[in-house]
Amino acid sequence: MSVPSASSLLSLGFLTALQEPSGWVGGYLVTNSWGRPLEFRLTTAVQPNRVQAALYGPTLTEYILADLIGKALVEKTAAKPDLIVTDVPLALALRSRVEVPVVAVKTADAAAPADAVLLSHARSTLGLLLPGKFAGDQAGLLKLLERVDPAVDLAEPFSRIREAVAEARKMGVTNRAA
Amino acid sequence: MPLENDAEAPLENQGAPDVLELDLSLLADVRTDGRFERPLEPNVRETRLLTDSPWVRSVGRLELSVATEGWTFPAPPVELPPPAPKPAAELAEGRHVANLPQLPDKDTVQKQRVRVKPTADMVMVKDRLLCLLQPPLDGLFDGRSLEVPFAPFPYQLEGIRFLMPRTAALLADEMGLGKTAQIILALRLLFHQGAIRRGLIVCPKPLVFNWARELKSWAPDLPFETIEGDPERRRTAWFTSNCPLKVVNYETLSRDADHSSDPRVKFDVVVLDEAQRIKNRDSKTAQVVRAIPRDRSWAISGTPIENHPDDLVNLFAYLDPGRIPPDTPPKRLQQLTSDCILRRTKDIVQSDMPPKVMRDLELELTPAQRAAYTLAEKEGVIHLNDLGDTLTVQHVFQLVMRLKQICNFDRLTGESAKLEQLVTDMEEVAESGQKAIVFSQWVEPLHTIAKALERYNPLEYHGKIPQPERTPILDKFKNDPKAHVLLMSYGTGSVGLNLQFTNYVFLFDRWWNPAIEDQAINRAHRVGQKSTVTVTRFIARETIEQRIASVLDAKRKVFNDLLANAEKPEALGLSEDEIFGLFDIRNRPKRAA
Repeated sequence: MSVPSASSLLSLGFLTALQEPSGWVGGYLVTNSWGRPLEFRLTTAVQPNRVQAALYGPTLTEYILADLIGKALVEKTAAKPDLIVTDVPLALALRSRVEVPVVAVKTADAAAPADAVLLSHARSTLGLLLPGKFAGDQAGLLKLLERVDPAVDLAEPFSRIREAVAEARKMGVTNRAA
Repeated sequence: MPLENDAEAPLENQGAPDVLELDLSLLADVRTDGRFERPLEPNVRETRLLTDSPWVRSVGRLELSVATEGWTFPAPPVELPPPAPKPAAELAEGRHVANLPQLPDKDTVQKQRVRVKPTADMVMVKDRLLCLLQPPLDGLFDGRSLEVPFAPFPYQLEGIRFLMPRTAALLADEMGLGKTAQIILALRLLFHQGAIRRGLIVCPKPLVFNWARELKSWAPDLPFETIEGDPERRRTAWFTSNCPLKVVNYETLSRDADHSSDPRVKFDVVVLDEAQRIKNRDSKTAQVVRAIPRDRSWAISGTPIENHPDDLVNLFAYLDPGRIPPDTPPKRLQQLTSDCILRRTKDIVQSDMPPKVMRDLELELTPAQRAAYTLAEKEGVIHLNDLGDTLTVQHVFQLVMRLKQICNFDRLTGESAKLEQLVTDMEEVAESGQKAIVFSQWVEPLHTIAKALERYNPLEYHGKIPQPERTPILDKFKNDPKAHVLLMSYGTGSVGLNLQFTNYVFLFDRWWNPAIEDQAINRAHRVGQKSTVTVTRFIARETIEQRIASVLDAKRKVFNDLLANAEKPEALGLSEDEIFGLFDIRNRPKRAA
């Protein structure tokens, strides 16, 4: 096997958050450019109480997804991504907390920020949303996506993460982390 | 009191009115109020001043927090640079496949993804998560990173999914379904994951070239080396070389038993091809194989049970020692082993594969053959009976062989009903531009057949052909349009060869074991075959061949029954008793009765 050049090494971070009866649970998978797993991390459930919900007001969800779950997962994961992809558009706010481009895949049922920029790319079967305040990331994003293997679909790894989170919960991992 | 009313003035003239005096004086009644009789007293009440802090009730922590837990997986060793784009081929004249536009609703139907799942006995959370987090196998080979000659069939993806998470796995697909490709792709993906770093493939000697060819085809990015040559070179290959994948044949492995069992030579995975080679637990080969230090034990065999359920038990002594306890009844074998065995047949996995037409051709012997046969059988049986108590199965076996040879050719005249039929059939094969394989259990008949079929440019492939010459022979058979027939012996040509460009198979004589015959047939009837494969089995009427055929046919189903429900622990080939039963022998030895 030939030794790769440094420029060919690319890491992709896939961030999701599941809203469950116990609260929001975050899952984060870092893969190489072929979509192979390098590192996986999940959070305990975050369940705001009524006072917190009242005091955080409409900023609560964004705060939980971006500041709490997203930032914690990205910062505590050893593998540093070149691009973060999420299937929760409200987590696009993470972009202002990290120095990595963040895009969301546009699912049918998820609410998207009004200022998000929609674009399409062959590497994703779903549309991609770029945070409006960081629309300047688009040129760099397109260059990054060219380095992603054509077999990779950016919308695909989230089902893997959900299965892994369910498996970890079945094995009692989420309780252990709390 | 007079009323004064100007409006009434004119009434005075009418007479003076009566005046009534009314007493309007007010009388006051004075009484004392008791409240003023009590003395006044001040009422004093204490009031707290605002000098204390107000009462505060806590609502708990307002800040939210989260804990995380994570796992780091083995890093894939390398990422390959994308291959150079292939130059667009010039369009040849004639018909071409048009790229039709996709229907708009094509992608609305979600297809089931093929994903690796953790096995029941996988206990580590990290291992289970690593399985679940792998990308789906379908579509994996569409990318530039995994170049393959053609996309694996869905059942092959299932096979890869079966293999990847297992430390003990037996891939027992029917011959021709591409077991080699499944194994290579599973190995390739595990190497790419970083899950394995050293692998060993053990195969029969004639198949080393085949493995090399298949590895180059299905895993061009996976370096491999063959362990061969002089002792020093082999020692270097075992101990010094850091080549990730090694291929060795069974004979060399046995010779290098000291090396292969050395703990320093530890493999992440060992693959046994044609694993029925270790069906005899006490054979040196089986012992050497079991002594290889390894983490994963995989095996490939289309015929894991050739003769007896013990074949499977002995195979598991390598695959997963301890899985089958001693003295386990055959009926429990399936329950104990089913999780480690994957077997598919062409009927199940590839309904669109071209059919295999079996043609049992019963031929009348030529007069010279009949005369020779009758005489030989008569004298032979007399001889067997004369042997009395000294009769052994070997004596019977010798007679069977002699009669079978007469069924092929009469030694005196050279007459052969089978050859006459074969020449006729080959005319048809060659005229249609097709190719055929002819199998025999002996090499000598192949020489005779070669002479008779000279105009079809026959090629011979058997044990007397030196190893280096074999691959070029197969290449010529494949690529030379004038080479219409390949003459093979069962022993050399029945396993591991991909001859799916051939549409006709002739079994000039029958082998003892139906599994071996199936292997021979499936050189042509395998994945990639695009047309119907016609298999002609020559059987001389009213001869020993017909008797053997009837016994073998009755047993042919047993193999599948064993793998399906493990309830028929009978031998698949001819037993000693059955060999004696081929002739009318008065005094059979007691041990065989």
